[in-house]
Amino acid sequence: MTSTLNGVPLGMYLAVSGALFLMGLAGVMIRRNPLLLLLAVELMLNSANIALVGFSRYWNVTDGHIFALVVMVVAAAEVVIGLGLVVAVYRQRLALDIDRMTSLRG
Amino acid sequence: VGEQIAFGLAAGATLIFGALVITLKRPFQATVSLIGCLAAVAVLFVLLQAPFVAAIQLIVYAGAIVVLFLFVIAYLGERPTPELDNPLARVEAFGWLAVAALALQGALVLGMSNLPGLWDEPRPVGDIGSPEAIGRSFIDDYIVPFEATSLALVVAAVGAVLLAKRAVRAEGGR
Repeated sequence: MTSTLNGVPLGMYLAVSGALFLMGLAGVMIRRNPLLLLLAVELMLNSANIALVGFSRYWNVTDGHIFALVVMVVAAAEVVIGLGLVVAVYRQRLALDIDRMTSLRG
Repeated sequence: VGEQIAFGLAAGATLIFGALVITLKRPFQATVSLIGCLAAVAVLFVLLQAPFVAAIQLIVYAGAIVVLFLFVIAYLGERPTPELDNPLARVEAFGWLAVAALALQGALVLGMSNLPGLWDEPRPVGDIGSPEAIGRSFIDDYIVPFEATSLALVVAAVGAVLLAKRAVRAEGGR
């Protein structure tokens, strides 16, 4: 980082992206409430989007933007299913604690 | 230099709000922090010459997805969750180990990478972020992934409906 730069180099964006991903990972590791867990997953998806759009600018192509938009669609689908599961668990009056949801029933 | 100031503000806001998302224990407060984080990431997208992705970020993410979160939180109500004993307390250290290992790996890769121009002035780019360029790219090169996303959304919607139906049936309803 010299003072002769006018713009922001790609490395800075990648550093922010990596830091945000680490926050999301730490959130997934320390949280047991599934709602907070989904929020942490959103952080990780967003950090990936920063890296994708950053590299898209670096290579001067549109592909990274397309990927970022597809990631947003996947995030929407993931939230729908995740929140559906949270509501289903809540309605059966179980504790909202992912470490206690240990049994499946078909 | 203005771009660097804007980047510093947006990056700082992203990381501060991101830290709030994982440290605040009440779901409502964490979700509101997520809105701030998503808006700051949208500013980063604008700085990366991606105005369309930034707009979608605000409309779809900060709009629809966060509203879905807030709706579910309002539906469930803010319950004080009892502090249960943690059955996985013995292996909790491994979670932090994974975070530390990934941080070390990321720092090493970023520091040792010999990608040309990684830390230099970004090169000028053409028209890569306008709705027109993205639309052309979707139609010309990525038509199959584009259609696949619609399939993913349909599967998610049907899955959510089936989940809700099963939950109601488990309570004795129809």
